Formats: sequence, structure tokens, C-alpha cells
Amino acid sequence: MPYNCAVIVREIWDTRDLVGNVLKEDGSLNEAILATRFEPEDLNALEMALQLKDKQGGNVTAISVGQARNVDVLRECLYRDVDAVIRVDVPSVKELDTAVMARLIAEAVKKAGPFDLALAGLDIVEGENSLLGAHVAALLGMDSITYVDALEEIGSGKVVCKRQIENGSEVVEAKLPSLLVVGVALLKDDPRTPRSAKATLKLKHKRTLIPSWTPQDLGINAPSSLPLTVLAGYEGIPQRVIESKQVDPNDEPSLKAMLDEIRRGA
Amino acid sequence: MSLHSRRCWMKSGEEPDMSELWVYIEINENGITDLSLQCLAKGTELARKNGWKAGAVALGFGIKDFAKEIIAYGADTVYLADDARLKSFLPASYQRVLTGLLKQKNPGLMIFPATTRGNDLAPLVATELDLACALDCQNTDFEGGRFVSRRSEFDGKVFTKYLPAGSRGLVTSLKDGVAEPDSANASRTGQTIPVEVVFNENDLTAKVLKREVIKSTVNLKAAKIIVTAGAGIGTKENFGLIENLARALGGEIGATRPVVDAGWATADRQIGQTGVTVKPDLYIACGVSGAVQHRVGMMMAKKIVAINTDAAAPIFKFAHYRIVGDLVDVIPKLLKLVK
Repeated sequence: MPYNCAVIVREIWDTRDLVGNVLKEDGSLNEAILATRFEPEDLNALEMALQLKDKQGGNVTAISVGQARNVDVLRECLYRDVDAVIRVDVPSVKELDTAVMARLIAEAVKKAGPFDLALAGLDIVEGENSLLGAHVAALLGMDSITYVDALEEIGSGKVVCKRQIENGSEVVEAKLPSLLVVGVALLKDDPRTPRSAKATLKLKHKRTLIPSWTPQDLGINAPSSLPLTVLAGYEGIPQRVIESKQVDPNDEPSLKAMLDEIRRGA
Repeated sequence: MSLHSRRCWMKSGEEPDMSELWVYIEINENGITDLSLQCLAKGTELARKNGWKAGAVALGFGIKDFAKEIIAYGADTVYLADDARLKSFLPASYQRVLTGLLKQKNPGLMIFPATTRGNDLAPLVATELDLACALDCQNTDFEGGRFVSRRSEFDGKVFTKYLPAGSRGLVTSLKDGVAEPDSANASRTGQTIPVEVVFNENDLTAKVLKREVIKSTVNLKAAKIIVTAGAGIGTKENFGLIENLARALGGEIGATRPVVDAGWATADRQIGQTGVTVKPDLYIACGVSGAVQHRVGMMMAKKIVAINTDAAAPIFKFAHYRIVGDLVDVIPKLLKLVK
């Protein structure tokens, strides 16, 4: 039986290789040194939806809020063979908090739906202020399963997922439609690894028009006046300076010197 | 019904009740969690400083006896929802009870431990009640008449400050390390208020079919030396090398989440997000890439040794000793030297 999925995708700051000062002298974010990337857990959520489609059929619709900065996550979804994409067009996502993002997404999911499943990635620990999927689930009044690392079963109006919790795991059943917040720790050669963009689809969708809805189309006026949480500024965290040494594993004296240093507490 | 009207019970400008702040106390099969007690210590500290009461909220089944303990740890009032339908944690049913309770009292601040449960509940409650929400924060405070939560972002280089918009309350979840739990004082007195549990049919549609949680057999937080296996170890056999090295050094074995997922290590050995945060004197990371999810749990180790075949692995950016090589070759050499 086919199932239709909505996947929420985001472009976020890439904080993995930060060199230089994140903050400018005036305390604002030094955006010039920041790159962006496809939220990695959103890619895992997308993969989960695409695998369900491969197995059972159905459509996958990707939804994102805001204009692309460097990585157009919706186009990346087209390159991975989603059936539809929708951009919620706001002038700047910076003025929005998670609650407003969630409202825009929830309304877009309702308008584009109905869907059997909505999927979002777990927010990685940096750069967003709240678990977006949980906000969306609350607004849609759906059951949600969070920290999902495997979709185990779907059928008879229900979905069963395995979720990761402290010191173990749970298997949870929820009624469809439901919202899954996906967080996967990938192993080597993991079958849950997100697929790459397809060359043929890249050619096909290079200029495909991405449909967009304004907040007004979704019945939300002046979203920038609605945030419940204010980002009130940044404070630099003093960085730990570490002395780092390269140790040649083929040189026994170097390894020994390292162990001696550690033993001495140097 | 539109999304907006469903939640319009709270009139705009409704002021929170500032006489009390609340802390969510998580109780599982091992009792009250350590992070809940840290959050309670933080909450009581803020309350005492500002002349408020510290309220604690606990939900579950068969948890009545914990009320005394929660009061001993500093709570003035314990709101206790003890009901068979709360035996399994499910976001929808727990959220319903919490929302009902918050509607009655509307405290200015509600603190959750930043666990899978706390992070599930905080945004659900915030959405239902139009409250501000900031998860996974390092701290929360009351400054200039407003609550503010600080969260480490951008590779641990920046605290971002989150405030509630307008005069609404803030729900926040706080991470491991926010405070030292207070010591219990059995002679403290406080009030326990039973919470009536009322559900709609829609609150009880989800079910926990299976729950596998192990009791921690190891206290990684107290370990001086930890040897950690990452996904790069490749096979279960290689996990034996990690065990040997840990044993030779008199240390404990740690693991990243993929290694736990693969079943090579038990879940109580997981370090990082959804695992523990450790600060040993020596941390040897074997086949650990250094993804942020793991790094947050170990970056404060005094000395970090990283062994990885990939010279570009992020772990090398914050390791004191960088060994680019295959752990299958390197660990036996280290073992020989240690012995």
C-alpha cells in the first residue's frame, strides 16, 4: 500500500570547520566565514521517506522555509527524486523562531496534504533553538515519535518505529498520520545512508521552477511579528587552547615519549 | 478549526505567575535521574535568590514515594501525577497532563532536563501554551527582570542568548553539567499536590511496544582514563583491542552511538548526546571521527589521544596527540609499551 510523505528540510550553518572569529567586533554573527549545509538529519529523514516510497510506492513532498543561501535543499531533494517540492517564501528566516517556522510548515503540510507521514530531522546540537518537529507535531495535533532511527513497520493505520533513548531503545507504535523526528547514527555501509544526487536528475531539474507559497497563502500574516522566543544576542566563549602533537605510529620512541608525557601529567 | 484559535485560551499579555518556577523531574526505572536533580539544584538556586518557590513536577505510575525525596532535594512543592495511564512515557499523554497543570499556574519558567523526554515535552508544551522555548541550553538565569537561557552554538565558540518575547513564560531544557545536585536533606518539608489526570481519547493513541533500557553498570563520569571505540573500529573483533587497552591502562571502555547501535558495546558506555558527558584525565579515541554529537560529551577531557586512519577526521582538531594510523596496528604497539 502506498504512503504519502512530507519531509521538512533545512539549510543550516555548517559549523564543522570554523576558522576565524564567529563573531564580529559588534557582537553580530560573522556570516562571511560561515558556510551552510543540508541539515544532516533532514537528509536521513528524506532517505527514510524515499526508502518507504521505493518499497511501498506513494509520493514524497519536500517542504522548506526561506530562500536558498548557498545550498538549495529543495533542489537537492529534486536531484534525489522527490515528487514535489514547496518553498515557503519569507524574506528572511533570521526573523523567525522555531515556533513561527513550525506554524508555516504545519500550514504548508496541511495545504499540500493529506499525508500519512511527516518527517523531520532531529536538530543537530548547534544552531537551532528548539526541536522543530515536535512543534510541528503539536500544531498538527499528530502523534509524534522522536529520536527515530528505524521505521520498522507501517500498515493498518499505524506506524512502528525504533527510537533511541538514554541507556537503550524503545519501539513505539503511533496512529497515522504521524510525525517522525529522525536521528540516525550511521554505521559503515549503513543501509540508512542518504543517497547521493543523481546526475540525470541534476540535468533534468537544474532549472525546474520551485513552487512557492507566501505566508499569506498559508493564512499567516506578518510572520516576523509572531516569534515567541527572541534571539537576544551572542557571547563569545573563551576557547581552550590546546597544544597538539602529531605522533608517528611507526616510531616506537615517539609513542613511548607520548605515554611518558601523559604519565607525568605533562 | 484554525491552528490559532485552538490555542487562544491565553489572552495576549497575560503575565506569568512569578511566585514560583517549576522543574520537571524525570523518574525512570533507575529512580530520579541525575540530570533532573541538577536541574532542581539550578531551579532552587534561582528561586532562593529571587524569593520565589521552587515547584517540581513529576509524572508516572507508582511514583508517590518519590515526592519526599524530591522535597529533600530542595523542592517546596511537588505536583505529582500518578496514574496507570502514565506508566509508559508518551509525548501526547504527558504533554496533556503538563499543559493542564501549567494552565492553572502559568509559572514564568519551567526547566526540563535536556534528555529525550525533556526535549520531547518542552516544545509540545510551549506550542500548546504559546510559550517561548529554548532546548539543550547550558544554563538559564534571571537577568534584568527576564529569564534568559544560554546555549552553546557554532562549534562551542558562542553562547546564543534566548529570551521570551513579550511577557510570556519560558520553557527550557538544560544539559548535563548545569549544576551539582544538592545533597538530600530528609528533614526538609514541603507540600505534595496530587494532579488530576484527565485524557481525551486522542491523547492515548500511541503505545510503547517494547522498551529496552539497561541499568548502568559503569560510572564513566568518575573514570580517570577512558578508551573509546568509534565506528572506525570496523568489526566486533576489533572491539577486543579497545578492551585490552582499557584494561592495560586501568581505564574504562567508552563508545560512540554507532558502536552501541551495532551491539558491540552496551548503551551505558555511550558518550555524547543521549549518552554521558565525561571529563577524564586521559581520553583515547580509537576510530572516532569526532562528530559534534560525540564531541559534546568528551571535549573537556584533560588529554585527548586520537587514533584514526583519516588524517582529515574532525577529532584531530581537538586532540592533544594525533596518531594517523590503523588502530589494529597502533593499539598492539601501545599495549606492548604500556606493559
